[in-house]
Amino acid sequence: MTKDKKLVIGQSVKRIDAHGKVTGETPYPGDIDLEGQLWMKIRYSDRAHARVLSVDASQALAMPGVVAVYTSLDVPVNEYGLVMKDQPVMCGPGGDKPGTDIVRCYMDYVAVVVAETEAIAAQALPLIAVEYEDLPPVFDPEYAMQPEAPQLHPNTPNNIIAHYRIRKGDMAAGWAQATVIVEETYETTYQEHAYLQPEAGLSYIDEQGRVTVIVAGQWTHEDQEQIYHALNLPENQVRVIYPAIGGAFGGREDMSVQIVLALAAWKLRRPVKIQWTREESILNHHKRHPIKIRAKWGATDDGKIVAAEATVIGDAGGYNYTSNKVLGNANLMVTGAYEIPNIHVDTYAVYTNNIPTGAFRGFGAPQALFAAEGQADRLADALRMDRVAFRRMNVFQEGSLLSTGTPLPKGVTIDKVLDACAAEAGWFEEPAGLWSRPVPDLPEDRTKLRGIGIACGYKNIGYSFGYPENSHAKIELYGKAEIEQVIVRQAGAEVGQGAHTVFMQMAAEAVGVPFEKVKLITADTAETGSAGSASASRLTFMAGNAIRGAAEKALQAWKSEERPAVGEFVYRPPKTTPYDPMTGRSEPNFAYGYVAQAVEVEVDIETGHVQLINVISANDVGMALNPQLVQGQIEGAVVQAQGYALMENLISDKGRIKNPFLSTYLIPTVLDVPLEVKSIILEYPDPIGPWGARGMAEMPFLPLMPAIAAAIYNATGVWMTSQPFTPEKVVKALRQHGIGVI
Amino acid sequence: MFPDKFDYVRASSVDEAIQLLSQNEDAKLLAGGHSLLPAMKLRLADAPLLIDIGRIAELKSITANGTLKIGALATHAEIAGNADVQKYCSALAAATGQVGDNQVRNFGTLGGNVAHADPASDPPTVLVACNATIHVKGSGGARAIKATDFFLDLYTTALEAGEIITAIEVPNHSGHKCAYAKLEHPASRYAVVGVAVCLEMSGSTCKSASVAIGGATNIAMRSSGAEQALAGTSLDDAALNAAAAAIQADLPDDALMDDITFPADYRKAMSGVYLKRAVKAAIG
Ligand SMILES: Cc1cc2nc3c(=O)[nH]c(=O)nc-3n(C[C@H](O)[C@H](O)[C@H](O)COP(=O)(O)OP(=O)(O)OC[C@H]3O[C@@H](n4cnc5c(N)ncnc54)[C@H](O)[C@@H]3O)c2cc1C
Repeated sequence: MTKDKKLVIGQSVKRIDAHGKVTGETPYPGDIDLEGQLWMKIRYSDRAHARVLSVDASQALAMPGVVAVYTSLDVPVNEYGLVMKDQPVMCGPGGDKPGTDIVRCYMDYVAVVVAETEAIAAQALPLIAVEYEDLPPVFDPEYAMQPEAPQLHPNTPNNIIAHYRIRKGDMAAGWAQATVIVEETYETTYQEHAYLQPEAGLSYIDEQGRVTVIVAGQWTHEDQEQIYHALNLPENQVRVIYPAIGGAFGGREDMSVQIVLALAAWKLRRPVKIQWTREESILNHHKRHPIKIRAKWGATDDGKIVAAEATVIGDAGGYNYTSNKVLGNANLMVTGAYEIPNIHVDTYAVYTNNIPTGAFRGFGAPQALFAAEGQADRLADALRMDRVAFRRMNVFQEGSLLSTGTPLPKGVTIDKVLDACAAEAGWFEEPAGLWSRPVPDLPEDRTKLRGIGIACGYKNIGYSFGYPENSHAKIELYGKAEIEQVIVRQAGAEVGQGAHTVFMQMAAEAVGVPFEKVKLITADTAETGSAGSASASRLTFMAGNAIRGAAEKALQAWKSEERPAVGEFVYRPPKTTPYDPMTGRSEPNFAYGYVAQAVEVEVDIETGHVQLINVISANDVGMALNPQLVQGQIEGAVVQAQGYALMENLISDKGRIKNPFLSTYLIPTVLDVPLEVKSIILEYPDPIGPWGARGMAEMPFLPLMPAIAAAIYNATGVWMTSQPFTPEKVVKALRQHGIGVI
Repeated sequence: MFPDKFDYVRASSVDEAIQLLSQNEDAKLLAGGHSLLPAMKLRLADAPLLIDIGRIAELKSITANGTLKIGALATHAEIAGNADVQKYCSALAAATGQVGDNQVRNFGTLGGNVAHADPASDPPTVLVACNATIHVKGSGGARAIKATDFFLDLYTTALEAGEIITAIEVPNHSGHKCAYAKLEHPASRYAVVGVAVCLEMSGSTCKSASVAIGGATNIAMRSSGAEQALAGTSLDDAALNAAAAAIQADLPDDALMDDITFPADYRKAMSGVYLKRAVKAAIG
């Protein structure tokens, strides 16, 4: 049902969860207790790579108050994993699957203790005696790819989980046409999600005898699948419920406490609770991938990019998590939002004995765009062209071919976001197509330099490369002559982004009732169908289309006098296809969002401190269903990307994280954030988005780091090629160039 | 995290506090609690008994009669906002005004700060630069310790068991140009490097300079090299650069602080940068 006049969407409806969260009334998983509950603590691996020979829990079990200790021997099907079930639930002897007795990183579980109190469980942990046989570890992904390196998983030769190729056009012809060629190596390190709420959960047997887990995640039905698989239970015997979730950013896509909690409650028939500390959280969930990218690009004198070559190596850590998917996305993104006729890319996801890496806002695109945008700037500079003008010559147009040899879906607006951003940042277009860069103010203090940078990017909305993408919604209309209440069932996770409020806005709009008449039932596998995850900037897009479809059906039922009138709908977007293994040919995605950002920095050349003076973020969101929430996502993404670019420096030493505290792993506080973030919200409808909306939550993260790097270069003449640009690294780089030396 | 169990008693006078200390060997004094309690929560410190001196009125005064005398219990905020402190020793007002955040400045006391001897603290650097004296009292009586002799090592001072700091005395520096400049830790706002300077000027010439640096090494220390490099100059770029080089050379390599975020070589480099900034701030 299409309406011209929007009643509820397009308005900044107040978040339904605002009051409870601000007052502290809203329960998060750690706030929920049940009578008679027990407490769990996890014994993690003491080695980066070793065979667990034995686990002796007798001393722990002898401790008063200890109820049970579970090990590998207690897990019915000892494997899990979001994409590949390559990780044991607990590592130890006795399994029939080869390799389940091996720990491959420090965050592997060896045992769990369940006790009457948390303190007792904590005291019992060290009493568990674990005997290891050390195995040779490997921490460097490039070394891990060599045949002589230790092999960490069966059937994964050279530890290469995935190798993607892009072979487009004719490289020799491309290089022959190029009059300028630029080459650079870009390196990024881990990023910690640092969500407010450390992992916690509670498991119990519900009134219908189902093993129930209350936890914070990103996809109830996927958590459920992994739990029932490991416990070898029928699907309907496991139930997953999300209460309030304190942030996720991709960090809750994979399992944390779910399976072990369910295992204990299932065995003991008593409620079992766990609450991680901040340190535990930082040590024991996956991170953003460290990726090394070697890139070589060439362009003609008149500014056309004619050839791009890249090697992309991502450190997956001990297990895949979503590494093959993240690197798959990086493989696509590493040539940027540019139409380039000749492309040659090799991308690898590689096992090591480091902490596993996986989903994190941007999903491989921030690293890839660091390289792509850096290359674009270097080419523009080499050609003495303005950087905006150079980009405008090369960015995707409607009908452009991706590196995968197929056209982008309709609604390409990278040129529009770039223009809007550049104009706001002070670029001006002289007669036609000739852009001129703004010149930053020169601070009076000679120890400070200012510079301006701009970068752009794009990212898929929804699952890619042939993954079966769908989302379920059900709408029930109650009333007699008039619709008095609308119940919408949509399981999508509210991870703090405001999704639930927007679901209700969309349901109200689709049915044609005021917002107040809508009630949402959500995030409980017993009450809702599968929504897919809160990830890939997909939730509003997917849930919105599902809600629209369900509303249409419910309204039909209403017309035929059914009471309640019920409509159920599974939205399936256009199909995508996987990469061809040799050429990379594919139809990777069904929709994209586009973004450009400009940033002005002030560099203290003596201390290396980089202050963001202002940030402009131009985003095509298709349709701002709730403008205030859109702005919140933009500002939040900018600050998170600022931390990524400038501060966040997780140190891993032989697989061990050295700074698992917020006092040593530095993230931006209110004292660090940009003085101004200007959000430019553009609304060029996506042809298949609900009311034209595009997903948008990852996009404002993507170009910030390359824009900052460009701004630092603009200020100082020095390129930073290794993230994060901490004061220490900036000072070193500047002094190497004779700047700020004392 | 929670501290281990402890007992608590409140002292109403200095003498009572001293008596309680002598009766309870492992007891610790509690002033603002902003160093002690965090350490106890992290289980880096523990005490069976805390003797709360926080309400002893006689330790709260700030007086200025020829010299500046600051009671041990004066808070950072009180010191930073005190007109006499601003006049007698503007660097101390600046340093206490830059401690942590509002909450820390309203609770933390100068006595507690000095007794704790955290290498990343701000006030000790100024006290060392400005020839301050720490007044202490114990069951054996009172004594005065020069700031330069007071700080011995990380979290280690010349304070003996059973002694309490009663006051900190700073000579009148109103004729000097004093300043404090600090590179703050982004999480805690403690000093990664802090430099205090007191310059005796004659026209545009620096007759003599007193320079101290904190954060870079285990204790707040003077830099005689920087002092010599500044003395007798017009504080031009050449002099500042020479002093910046000298302060780096004065830092004993084996005592340099070093952590993941701010490695030793970075701190060393920043000591020169912040020396220059302190001098520039002093001559404004
Ligand atoms: C988040 C945070 C940020 C901070 N940032 C900074 C900063 O940027 N710069 C900085 O300098 N400091 C900083 N501090 C420390 C702060 O200044 C403390 O308040 C101060 O160091 C200790 O003072 P207190 O009164 O709280 O002492 P307490 O914590 O009560 O005591 C500290 C120690 O001194 C002893 N003690 C206290 N008073 C006396 C006395 N009169 N005689 C003898 N012994 C005594 C105690 O027994 C204890 O061992 C920070 C603290 C926090 C929590």
